[in-house]
Amino acid sequence: MSSLLEIRDIHVTFHGRRGTEKALRGVDMDLAPGESLAVVGESGSGKTTLLRAALGLVPPARGNVRLFGKDLQGLKRDQRIGILRRCGLMPQDPYGAVPPTLSVREAVMEPLLLVNGFGAREACARKAEALLREWGLPDETLWGARVSSSLSGGQRQRVCGARAMALDPQLFLADEPTSMQDASLRGEIVSVLESRVSSGMGLVLVTHDLLLARRAARTGLVLYRGVAVEKAPTADLLDNPLHPYTAALARALPRLGRAILPPSESRACEGLGCPYADRCEKAGPECVEAPSLKEVSPGRFVACHKA
Amino acid sequence: MIALENLSVRYRSGDREVAALSGVSLALPSGRVTGLVGESGSGKTTLVMAILGLLPPEARIAGHILLDGVDVVGIGDSALDRFRWTRVALVPQGSQNAFNPVLSIGEQIAEPIRVHLGLSRQEAGRRTWRLLDEVGLGKRMAGRFPHELSGGQRQRAALAMALSCDPAFLLADEPTTALDVIIQAEIVELLRRTVRERKMGMAVVTHDLPLASGLCETICVLDGGRLVETLPAGDLAGNARHPRTRALVKALLEMEQARP
Repeated sequence: MSSLLEIRDIHVTFHGRRGTEKALRGVDMDLAPGESLAVVGESGSGKTTLLRAALGLVPPARGNVRLFGKDLQGLKRDQRIGILRRCGLMPQDPYGAVPPTLSVREAVMEPLLLVNGFGAREACARKAEALLREWGLPDETLWGARVSSSLSGGQRQRVCGARAMALDPQLFLADEPTSMQDASLRGEIVSVLESRVSSGMGLVLVTHDLLLARRAARTGLVLYRGVAVEKAPTADLLDNPLHPYTAALARALPRLGRAILPPSESRACEGLGCPYADRCEKAGPECVEAPSLKEVSPGRFVACHKA
Repeated sequence: MIALENLSVRYRSGDREVAALSGVSLALPSGRVTGLVGESGSGKTTLVMAILGLLPPEARIAGHILLDGVDVVGIGDSALDRFRWTRVALVPQGSQNAFNPVLSIGEQIAEPIRVHLGLSRQEAGRRTWRLLDEVGLGKRMAGRFPHELSGGQRQRAALAMALSCDPAFLLADEPTTALDVIIQAEIVELLRRTVRERKMGMAVVTHDLPLASGLCETICVLDGGRLVETLPAGDLAGNARHPRTRALVKALLEMEQARP
């Protein structure tokens, strides 16, 4: 099947007042229609940058990105827009993502009107309402309200989801899509994503929560300091992690009836090739060499000399 | 240490009255960690703000809030100041606007020490350094400004500020919101260790039931302004009785399931 997204050896570097920050250091990622991939890691691991790079929103310092088989860099503006319209991005911060003066219904209608023309207002409104229902906002009295005034964070986040799905994207990129939801609603959002994936949408889900990753995506890619350290079916990442960092993520996760275990503290050690060596309880002399992501059993990849 | 008796809080909104808390009675014993758990709108934040006398003026309070046996409902700010900081202190959400953006972290931790304990600037400064060490930040953070700290560091600073006047009880409001699981686990460990070493009591307000179950001994479940169930944390998964608690647990267990 043709590929929706193909990222090869991508490097992204940010230049700031405090010097340069290598946000991504050579990551590969692939996604086909009907596949779901969770990108997992802590704050600063490069998850969101990878998502943004996938859509060409940050330029790579090295490597390349192909969306629907095309390299965005070489395309004319119209062609690029054509491809980006087949993608939906649900950003992490719902407060900055929707124009605050729009009503809830208008926020979801906006992308539809831009594509279908303002003559199709009625049809766009009906479609927006269907999307709002799909995203767990069936209360019609809310649809006329301004996004900025009367919505909770969780409601805004669902508006963002509906808006990102307005054009029935073939590729959906969701950045912590349940972070502001009460537990009772998290499952609903996962169901929306699930049903779309089962009808062929490709999903990239960014999260620090391995439980959400396991629930909503089949494959997981674990990032640490801009490097992919493990790739495996999400169920294995949680229940049988191979990389020590993945194991630390699993132990730190709050779960009913289990202790929350903090990771080991970082030790000062310079010049090690493995990015996780300073926090790793298993680190040894061989970790001076940076490990590469290797397939250790079918479908399981890990970058660790000790795994 | 803290006891609520039949506490109700109502807000006036336009010409309607909204009940934020209805007849809540519960005890927050010293030396124990209690979780106050509920979804948005359950009344958990109102409860904490009521204990600290920080509700907006239009809130109407009925019932009793006993701090060390003294009913503090309606006693006024100056009388409440005998309790705030020195007996009961708030650990605010470090991620939000807990800090003044134009003052250094050190100045903000030293302020309650000088105001409530009457220490000199120098003595307050030394105490601030000790507190910054205790929460794992170190003295060098005293001169930093809030925006220079990461989310986890700000939450540690918020704890240092709460500890500044050596309180007997901490009220922690969503202490790990907006932190990733790794930093969250570190903050949980820090809170647990601090409460144990200082022999304090703590109430943790959170919407996150798994977090509460990992951090607290007792869980109080709030729903729609009512206390619906109090149970040992270990009973959450299998022995919850109230339908609301069971529904919350069921939603979590569904997330525990692998993809079909």
